[in-house]
Amino acid sequence: MAERETLEVDVLIVGGGPAGMSAALRLAQLQKEKGGEPLAIAVLEKARESGAHMLSGAVLDPSTLKDLVPDFKEKGAPLAIEVRRDDIYFLTRTAKLRLPITPPFFRNHGNYIISLNRFVKWLAGLVEAEGIDIFTGFAATEVLYDLSTGAAQAGAVVGVRTGDRGIDKHGQKKSTFEPGVDIRAKVTIFTDGVRGNLTKALVRRLGLDEGRSPAVYAIGIKELWEVPAGRSEPGRVVHTMGYPLKMEEFGGGFMYALPDNLVAIGLVAGLDYKDPMFDPHVAFQHLKRHPVIASVLEGGTLVRYGAKALPEGGWYTIPKLYAAGALIAGDAAGFMNSARLKGIHLAMRTGMLAAETAFEAVRKGDVSEAALKAYDDRVQASAVKKELWPVRNVHQAFGYGTMAGAAFTGLSLVTGGGWFRDPLPAHGGWTRIQKLATYYKDARPDPDSTVNPVKIDRQLTFDRLTGVHYSGTRHPEDQPSHLIVHDASVCATRCREEYGNPCIRFCPANVYEMVDAGDGTKKLQINASNCVHCKTCDIMDPYQIIDWVPPEGGGGPHYEGM
Amino acid sequence: MILVVAEQREGTLNRASLETVAAAQSAGDAIKIAILGSGLDAVAAELAKADAAEVIVVDAAALKEYTADGWVLALEQIVAAERPDRVFLPHTYQTRDFAPALAARLKRPLVTDCIAVKGGGYVRPMFQGKLQADVAVDGPHLATFQIGAFRADALKTMSAGSAATRKASIAIDASQIRQKPDAPFKEAKQAVDLSQAERIVAVGRGIKGQEHIALAQKLAQAMGAEIAASRPICDAGWLPMDRQIGSSGQTVAPKLYVALGISGAIQHLVGMKGARTIVAINKDAEAPIFEVADYGIVGDLFDVVPALIAALNG
Repeated sequence: MAERETLEVDVLIVGGGPAGMSAALRLAQLQKEKGGEPLAIAVLEKARESGAHMLSGAVLDPSTLKDLVPDFKEKGAPLAIEVRRDDIYFLTRTAKLRLPITPPFFRNHGNYIISLNRFVKWLAGLVEAEGIDIFTGFAATEVLYDLSTGAAQAGAVVGVRTGDRGIDKHGQKKSTFEPGVDIRAKVTIFTDGVRGNLTKALVRRLGLDEGRSPAVYAIGIKELWEVPAGRSEPGRVVHTMGYPLKMEEFGGGFMYALPDNLVAIGLVAGLDYKDPMFDPHVAFQHLKRHPVIASVLEGGTLVRYGAKALPEGGWYTIPKLYAAGALIAGDAAGFMNSARLKGIHLAMRTGMLAAETAFEAVRKGDVSEAALKAYDDRVQASAVKKELWPVRNVHQAFGYGTMAGAAFTGLSLVTGGGWFRDPLPAHGGWTRIQKLATYYKDARPDPDSTVNPVKIDRQLTFDRLTGVHYSGTRHPEDQPSHLIVHDASVCATRCREEYGNPCIRFCPANVYEMVDAGDGTKKLQINASNCVHCKTCDIMDPYQIIDWVPPEGGGGPHYEGM
Repeated sequence: MILVVAEQREGTLNRASLETVAAAQSAGDAIKIAILGSGLDAVAAELAKADAAEVIVVDAAALKEYTADGWVLALEQIVAAERPDRVFLPHTYQTRDFAPALAARLKRPLVTDCIAVKGGGYVRPMFQGKLQADVAVDGPHLATFQIGAFRADALKTMSAGSAATRKASIAIDASQIRQKPDAPFKEAKQAVDLSQAERIVAVGRGIKGQEHIALAQKLAQAMGAEIAASRPICDAGWLPMDRQIGSSGQTVAPKLYVALGISGAIQHLVGMKGARTIVAINKDAEAPIFEVADYGIVGDLFDVVPALIAALNG
């Protein structure tokens, strides 16, 4: 059998998104500035190629980019188009009401509409040009800790282990078996994205969320369309509130017009909804049928589909950002401004700050927790804190309904984000989902039905499975399921009765299905190879028994142009 | 001149070879067909029926079993002797194994997975078939053709007699072949290459239970067809994975494809839409399978299939 290989580096970055790439690039810059023995740096990325798992709206606030790559224009940053017009609509089923003024949070003057996939691919090119290795197609599955006892560094993070390859469905080794690699690093920067599997394990093991508010997430479903010429207005940004979401549900729609008749549309829905029958994918189809969107899309063609969770909780939900040998940055830590719907610049900034701290620590030969606290100090003193502090209670206020939330967001401008209670009390999003009997009382719907069905015409609206095809998702079929349901006996019995199997609705990729068991009952079927890596199931399952772990490296969506 | 490299295994011609000859005929250039291996008389005779200038038989002991090095060495010599402008190959697993090395050795560009010849160039799908790109190539080159893109039964044959057959001698030293092939892997069960099947009966979720697979098998038997399935059936283990058609299974282009209780998810359609005649039987008149079907029966397959079997056997 092949031996497990070990690779030693100074700084390891786990996750090649905007945070990870910015960290890598910043390390290369510091190396050049300070000279001396060059650090060994590596970036791990689970996607087959850089950027392939990147999904965002996306409107980029270029403030961090200007600091990280001052000559970004000369270097050909793929910023598709500058925002030229901003509109917000409040939608009802058939009508729209345009807000007469665009609130300050939503003003996008000076921002760019981008494809995060292209943007990250570009960043990856800059990183590789600095001679840093990006190992694409390698998913990290475990955090490695120093297990020696008594030593000063006992318990410190010392790297990660990547997943084995060539394991079949039943967990047996195939002829192609290759054990994962141990990558040992003095400092590991965790930039594994929203609900990152390693950050999740790290936070739990070290209790990094102690004293923090529970994390809150949303799911974003996005499609890229090519529309008939002249239909869209490149540079126009539209946000919608209201329909198809209920007033009790957090979220809204977006439509960003890119050049070349491309339009990005999407729906963000808070993963703290109450209605167990809520179906974000169906809601997204309803949004596309609304005249505001349909008038742009009609006659166009779907180009790409994708979905991804977003961290919505804000400042109070950010865990402790450092431990001996470890730093957390970007979406993995929850750096997103939910009032502005922006996080890319915060991911990049925290990646840079983590890189500066890691560089300093490695050079000094001190990667202890005390030394790495410098990262937290940097974040506290940075533009990130300045931006997130005033909106620290915004998402939690939406817990009181759209109107209360919107009013609070407006008030924040005056009060600086405080309230009589600060922090506002918060609950894990999944705790808010109600049981069928509570929500629907005597009018309980059939779990296999759709409460608010939408016609699938395969022109404007599509089913989930078609969406999966357009996400470009591929996984080798003969491998163990990477969605681990710790007790699947709950599904057909307790969950079906209590919540009506919400997984079959909140999963945007038809991974979860309740199929006939052949004896009149139902059983859970997991179509793991459909998974678009959005992490919604890991977040929203009411029993918290689903664990998303990485599939064999290289599997997943292919978000070209998203 | 176009040189078509045909493919055989143990003396049986791969049908995709004839499709590639048809592709070459569509290009309107003189055609020579090369066949490599050992003991090739029957295969050469079959190829000689095609309307072509010549069949070149490269029979050598070193080519008894397929090896990438052997094929590259032999074809390098054939190309040097025949000087074709273009070399056409079927896009089979074997071609995928040696063609890149051959192209590099010849210092000629390689255009893969083409579905049509267009002018001096080709059409090939990109982005999982979402786009079809027109590819232009300068100078001598190699091209491979997707299975099912051309029809073997549309092949122009010689109006009289058969194409000239010539043995070409090549020099290969066994020591130049670095690969040592083991005996061909045979599955305990009879493995199927569905891409070679002329008729296929495919079952989907509408079959409801494993116990009903036998019904579909009976229909397949009556039709002389292979049995296949959409993904949920293979996922459930009702049929083995090598019977799966679609984006995560095989791509097929039979003469006749009968879809039983298959709704027609796009993942399935990409694997079978090249079939010449598609017959769909489904209860749901709205099922997308009817959009690609030539003949559709809206009805319960448990009523329709027994009637079909009775008619075929009666």
